Amino acid sequence: MSWPTRAELAAKAAQMTRDPVTGEVAAIRYVGVYKAFGTHEVLKGLSVSIPRGKITAIIGRSGTGKSVTIKHVMGLLRPDQGQVWVGDDELAAMSDRKLRTVRNRFGLVFQNAALFDSMSVFDNIAFPLREHTRMRRAELQAKVRDMLALVGVHHAEDKLPSELSGGMRKRVGLARALVRDPEFLLYDEPTTGLDPILTAAIDELVVHTHHARPGLTSVVISHDMAAVLRIADKVVMLVDGVLAHEGTPDYFHASTDPLVVQFLTGSLHGPMKV
Amino acid sequence: MLLGFLEELGRAARIASLGTVNVFLPPFRLGLIIHQMEFIGIQSLPIILLSSLFTGAVFTYESYEAFHLFGAQGYVGGTVGVAITRELAPTLTGLLVAGRAGSAIAAEIGSMRVSEQIDALNAMAVDPINYLVKPRLIASTLTMPMLTAIFDLVGILGSYLVAVHVLRLSPPEFTVRLQDWVDWDDVLAGLFKATVFGFVVGAVATYKGYYTEGGAAGVGRATTTSVVVASVVILILNFFIAYFVTSSVSG
Ligand SMILES: Nc1ncnc2c1ncn2[C@@H]1O[C@H](COP(=O)(O)OP(=O)(O)OP(=O)(O)O)[C@@H](O)[C@H]1O
Ligand SMILES: [Mg+2]
Repeated sequence: MSWPTRAELAAKAAQMTRDPVTGEVAAIRYVGVYKAFGTHEVLKGLSVSIPRGKITAIIGRSGTGKSVTIKHVMGLLRPDQGQVWVGDDELAAMSDRKLRTVRNRFGLVFQNAALFDSMSVFDNIAFPLREHTRMRRAELQAKVRDMLALVGVHHAEDKLPSELSGGMRKRVGLARALVRDPEFLLYDEPTTGLDPILTAAIDELVVHTHHARPGLTSVVISHDMAAVLRIADKVVMLVDGVLAHEGTPDYFHASTDPLVVQFLTGSLHGPMKV
Repeated sequence: MLLGFLEELGRAARIASLGTVNVFLPPFRLGLIIHQMEFIGIQSLPIILLSSLFTGAVFTYESYEAFHLFGAQGYVGGTVGVAITRELAPTLTGLLVAGRAGSAIAAEIGSMRVSEQIDALNAMAVDPINYLVKPRLIASTLTMPMLTAIFDLVGILGSYLVAVHVLRLSPPEFTVRLQDWVDWDDVLAGLFKATVFGFVVGAVATYKGYYTEGGAAGVGRATTTSVVVASVVILILNFFIAYFVTSSVSG
């Protein structure tokens, strides 16, 4: 098999400027992305677009490469083959400086929160502001407190991440991603491991944040099918490192494809084996 | 095997050179540098004080016997002084700091790698080299000669105490040769070596931490190998610096 050239990939990307599911402009495009760790191939030619201004959900089994996919958008991982486009720019072709400006437009909520364990909750959330803005102390304090209130974490400003419960860490991670008003918000399983009430609250927060910020593009990785089908504009299903299905929630509801049915109903019987 | 070694070397060179370049790139991270100097310097003080005091003491005690045979016990002060300032202080300080601070640095950065905190830095458009590597590299390079200078002083103090109070030399007997034999060249040669060792410890620890993979076990491996590698490099470099740079024989 011969790999497509850069020009061929770019030509393919040019045909993907509109998202087929929502009709919106594609804010992020994956074009034939391959990624392996050692001999373990994770992404095997993934091509998919993320519509601007919409909520896109990525679903798929544990280990299919959802987190890996999301990490490619910000250049945290680099494709072995293929291209990732953010707007009109291809990531691999960017200078470091350009990559930094792109990263500054993103907020990423890590699956495991990835809080800085040597810093207090307050300092964690203030970190991006201190690094990239010249905000005054009072303003900074107000902004951080707003964020903490927004995600419902109280009386924990001075705590270290190791002193928090998993759910609280997740919410602090969310606050840290939100604090700079990014254009893109990427959530890697924001609700996995939270109690049902918190889960509902975070889902609500995702939707609320999305609609409170016109133009925000949200991407949510989630195993919570009910929530995905309720809040997403577009759903992307990954199987075996490629796009298996994409469509609106209605499309997924109506689908009779055994893969989709099995996944949505969480059945042991079907094409996917445990 | 050879390929693995070359890859490692490449990574180490990459981190060391990027870290060095970043010294001149903003943000300068003064606060973090000072914090790291405190961590490496102040917190290494107790172990440096203890080691230097006893190194000076035991070295004096052992060499006294030999000199005494020839009735040349007056040479003790000078001999110990030169040995400490040129060799023992920089090398032992280097090894001790590699064991104490280098391992801690590798463990800290390594655990930040495996818990995705380094990804988080990148995701927030903060260069981890500038934020994590540079302050530690600078701090360790600057702190090592300071600790070595302290080792010099306390080591000689230890030697003096043993010579005068245990071996019953008269104070002038000890100090005359010390002043005669130890000159600034010896002290500076030692401090120069210490500076190089400081850079080595910082570079090895940060690069081992930075390229950690494989969870908690990986952090453990990074920690151990950072100490081993830094120590071996220090011992090897010590010879080459003595041979090519600071040697009084060829000089
Ligand atoms: N840095 C890495 N080094 C080696 N292997 C990796 C790395 N990151 C991911 N993988 C592997 O890639 C595969 C996909 O991982 P990924 O985290 O993307 O899964 P996921 O779809 O997010 O699963 P989950 O729903 O459990 O979070 C896994 O088999 C994982 O072991
Ligand atoms: Mg994941």
